[in-house]
Amino acid sequence: MDQEEHALPIVIVGHVDHGKSTLIGRLLYDTDCLPPDKYSEIQKSSEMLGREVEFAFVMDCFEEERSRGITIDTTQTFFKTPKRRYVIIDAPGHKEFLKNMITGSSQAEAALLIIDAFEGIQDQTRRHAYILGMLGFKQVCVLLNKIDLVEYSQDKFIQLKVEVTDFLNQLNIHPTFILPISAIHGDNVAKPSEKISWFDGPTVLQALDTFYELKVEEKPLRFPIQDIYQMDGKKILVGRIESGHLAKGESLFLLPEKKKVVVKSIKKFLEKDVPTVHFEESVGICLKGRQKVRRGQILSGDLSFMISDRINANIFWMDPIPYQMGGPLLFRCVTQEVPCRIEKIHKKFDPASMEWVKEDASSILGAEVADILIHLESQVIVDPFNDIPEMGRFVLEKGRRPVAGGIIL
Amino acid sequence: MKKAFIIGIDGVPHSLLSTYIENGIMPNLKKILSQGLALHQINASIPDISSVSWTSFNTGVNPGEHGIYGFTDLKPDSYSLYFPNSKDIDAPTFWEILGKTDQKTSTLVQKYHKKISHPYRSTIFNVPHTYPALPMNGILVSGFVAIDLKKAIFPESAYTYLNSINYLIDVEAEKAKEDKMVFMKSLFECFEIRKKAISHFFKEESWDLFFACITETDRLHHFFFDASNDKENPYHEFFIRFYMELDKFIKILYERFVQRYSGKGFFMVLSDHGFAPVKKEVYINRFLEEKGFLFLKNEGNFYERVENKTKAFSLDPCRIYIHGKDIYPRGTVRKEEKTALLEEMKKILRGLKGENGDEVIDKIFEKEEIYHGPHTRMAPDLVCLPKDGYDLKGSLEKKEIFGYNIFKGMHTWHDAFCIIPENISFSQKPSIDNLTEYMIQYYSQ
Amino acid sequence: MDHLTRLENKSIYIIREAYYQFKNIAMLWSVGKDSTTLLWLCRKAFFGHLPFPIIHIDTSYKFLEMYQFRDERAKEWNLNLLIAKNEEKLKGGMGPGQGSKLDCCNELKTNALKSVIKKYHLKAILLGIRRDEHGIRAKERYFSPRDSQFKWDYENQPAELWDQYQSMVEEEEHFRIHPILHFTEFDIWNYVKREELPIVPLYFSKNGKRFRSIGCVPCCSPIDSNAQTIDEIVEEIRISKTSERSGRAQDKENIYTMQKLRALGYM
Repeated sequence: MDQEEHALPIVIVGHVDHGKSTLIGRLLYDTDCLPPDKYSEIQKSSEMLGREVEFAFVMDCFEEERSRGITIDTTQTFFKTPKRRYVIIDAPGHKEFLKNMITGSSQAEAALLIIDAFEGIQDQTRRHAYILGMLGFKQVCVLLNKIDLVEYSQDKFIQLKVEVTDFLNQLNIHPTFILPISAIHGDNVAKPSEKISWFDGPTVLQALDTFYELKVEEKPLRFPIQDIYQMDGKKILVGRIESGHLAKGESLFLLPEKKKVVVKSIKKFLEKDVPTVHFEESVGICLKGRQKVRRGQILSGDLSFMISDRINANIFWMDPIPYQMGGPLLFRCVTQEVPCRIEKIHKKFDPASMEWVKEDASSILGAEVADILIHLESQVIVDPFNDIPEMGRFVLEKGRRPVAGGIIL
Repeated sequence: MKKAFIIGIDGVPHSLLSTYIENGIMPNLKKILSQGLALHQINASIPDISSVSWTSFNTGVNPGEHGIYGFTDLKPDSYSLYFPNSKDIDAPTFWEILGKTDQKTSTLVQKYHKKISHPYRSTIFNVPHTYPALPMNGILVSGFVAIDLKKAIFPESAYTYLNSINYLIDVEAEKAKEDKMVFMKSLFECFEIRKKAISHFFKEESWDLFFACITETDRLHHFFFDASNDKENPYHEFFIRFYMELDKFIKILYERFVQRYSGKGFFMVLSDHGFAPVKKEVYINRFLEEKGFLFLKNEGNFYERVENKTKAFSLDPCRIYIHGKDIYPRGTVRKEEKTALLEEMKKILRGLKGENGDEVIDKIFEKEEIYHGPHTRMAPDLVCLPKDGYDLKGSLEKKEIFGYNIFKGMHTWHDAFCIIPENISFSQKPSIDNLTEYMIQYYSQ
Repeated sequence: MDHLTRLENKSIYIIREAYYQFKNIAMLWSVGKDSTTLLWLCRKAFFGHLPFPIIHIDTSYKFLEMYQFRDERAKEWNLNLLIAKNEEKLKGGMGPGQGSKLDCCNELKTNALKSVIKKYHLKAILLGIRRDEHGIRAKERYFSPRDSQFKWDYENQPAELWDQYQSMVEEEEHFRIHPILHFTEFDIWNYVKREELPIVPLYFSKNGKRFRSIGCVPCCSPIDSNAQTIDEIVEEIRISKTSERSGRAQDKENIYTMQKLRALGYM
């Protein structure tokens, strides 16, 4: 297994018949990233069928491995351009996807929304688009696929492009690109196509290469204190670095008090004199002097965070029992745990009509998405979800059970 | 309003069940039997393998009509081994008949087709040999052998639920070799998940017929049958405990069913074959080799190794095929020679003796005696049933006729059971495929 | 951050979180490779000074090599080792040779554990279970269902959260925490190699056989193997997994079908 180079995680969403599998197969194939055994399998099948449908088989293979369920496959779907690697995050169903993104079990930094140019916007297109909107995706590339079925018509493309832009803007999505492609024939995916000579925009790969990486490791430090250990008369603060890095001797802010502190030493088992530690490491640190510290405080590298006892957020309600306005909940974001109430529901997403409903709602039902205002008993430190994900996602609990997950945009 | 509830329990012998009912291990089943139901011993299909037996029950006809003779079979006019699945069943199942989605025909369909007034909806759960799941009127979740959970479920919407409870189609029998204790525990865990799913579908789905199978018993018996009655056996307590939980579960389902339908539904419990302790495995192909009927070359997979001069070979468990000139590419036995050859083979097979000089083979059937229907041509020419204790196998790799394995139990043909309304009486001992008709009759009255 | 380091950091976070939430906890050590890895991760989490005891459920039927290994490590790593034994039953002659295995497992393992939990008022137990051990474990959770929930648990939030599902295994009234759920068998071996962790020699091949899992002598059987080093074991595992995955879809189904049938004595 190779050591990990950073790969930009992307998610591909859209109606299931609009060519998602074919696109993935095409991306892998055109970038020479098809695992050799899969490739020979596909060749055999397509020879047999005498048709160009080989790429759908790639996804069938991946589908199968996943549905087998017994071994969890840790290999992921990678492809690459000369610039960098990409990893495709699985989005089996919209609810799963939403839950996974909110709870952090998968983290996509860009999205490809695939729409069949012939069929146009369908229900699933809408659903996935609303999720992208709810999650505040900034980097979205819309692919109008099967452009061959509308005879590569520029007029049709423009017409659809206008329709799509309008539709997405209502959901607060401003796609970076809208591209005409044919995944099955390979037009404009990896290579431009003479059949779409009227189009002067990028190919899918070129578009992806323009996206920036989140690079949480380069963001300002956020180190939520998980616990305090007393060892050899010293207080060791343990926790996980949720963004940025931390160096010995560095000066930091202890929040929410905003007190200035200095890192005396960094502790790692069996390692002496650790100079720096990085994003995702679970470490122990000692501060200079005697500080009043407790779990839930945050050590921050700068003052760019948001601190407030009133927060606007998008939540996904998971409990079968609906929420009635004003009911008490517990807000948990990294190691912060603060009682709170939902003070206002700005709007709710109605899964039936698939639109944001602007009425004054007083309750939130299971599987609903709502844009709300939370009022907390004391101030908390948060960051926008698309900036420092772990500091921008939270859980609401009732009676020590999670009832909703949410993000702060 | 017609409602039927059928519970299948794979591999439970009538003799064992009777013992457990008598000695208080299954008090709930005993009580159920006093409420208008009767216990009968029945015969399984021939051969007595689950894929054949359940299919015979599901379709209500013999293999000569449905075409399934085993877990494996040879493709016509070839030596290629394949695994027949639901698509190869050539007769409609009772849920297809009752659901009016049947597209094939059989003698059973012909009899009752017009008498089913309207389509009935079924929930068919964990029934072996229904993979891949074919479209039907209701919900179907296949039982073993099923590889891909998604393909084992119809319609797709049921997949979400089953995936969420981490539903398992089967325990991993491969693990039994590594650690028997862990395997025993996994049987209980799998059973828990099975029970949960069955309860869920019972409650949440609308159905006119509910047929669910428990398959853990077959696995339990294969590896632990010697623990069934032997109190000294280290796994005895686990074994009984399993049956006690089974007993409790049947009670829960029965009571719910009776309550919901004020006792007017049709209730049935059955098994597809029995079990007996294994003394030895018997490798019929090795026997045929030694007696000069079978010649194998070294190259090739499985039956591709069969050489021209072969007169006969066997497929699991003991399906013997004459290497006919008109049937197999390299076949050399001419039609005129078949009758004499069959007689010779029967004689020799009867002469096969175990260690104490006891007979290995109990019954030998020629195909016309037991199979009737359009698929009799591809049926085995001879099928043997052994005496309890001798497990007949179709392996081509053995160097001795007799051998041992890790298994503690073997299938039996004569000792399956059914529990059925007591007003149904049989003039002779029924076979599993006879039972289906009673159910169809219930719906056609 | 490389793959193993990522797994390691995640486990350490979970272990520290469990300690914070429950305080009165213990780690169950079976002396096998998985729980020894967990023990090592606990040592890392607490900088070598574990604030809780390590429990070994001793049925007294374990392999000799396991006892040796256990005692050596306890000394070397300065562990607060509690040996849970059902002395009463053992004196009465209980064992897998005499009487039922259910009783044996129950009394010598389960009840021994229950007494320890009661005696020390333990609120939670750390266990070295991995998701890829068995199909049943595929959806296992970091923290067991009852009360406390952590958002990291979310990826394991299936309907079971609102369910009354209780498996036979979870009879005890305490929490079970699984910090190495996300390690595969492959990962464990690579980690053992990287950290140069000592493990019981039974895992390595002797006379063409080695143990894939170790427990009580009477209930465990070795597999055929010539792997004598970790690299060889890793290679063995890699080969078996690749052969599972390569091949056409239908061929794959056939292979699986054949495996299943073989495991039941057919073919």
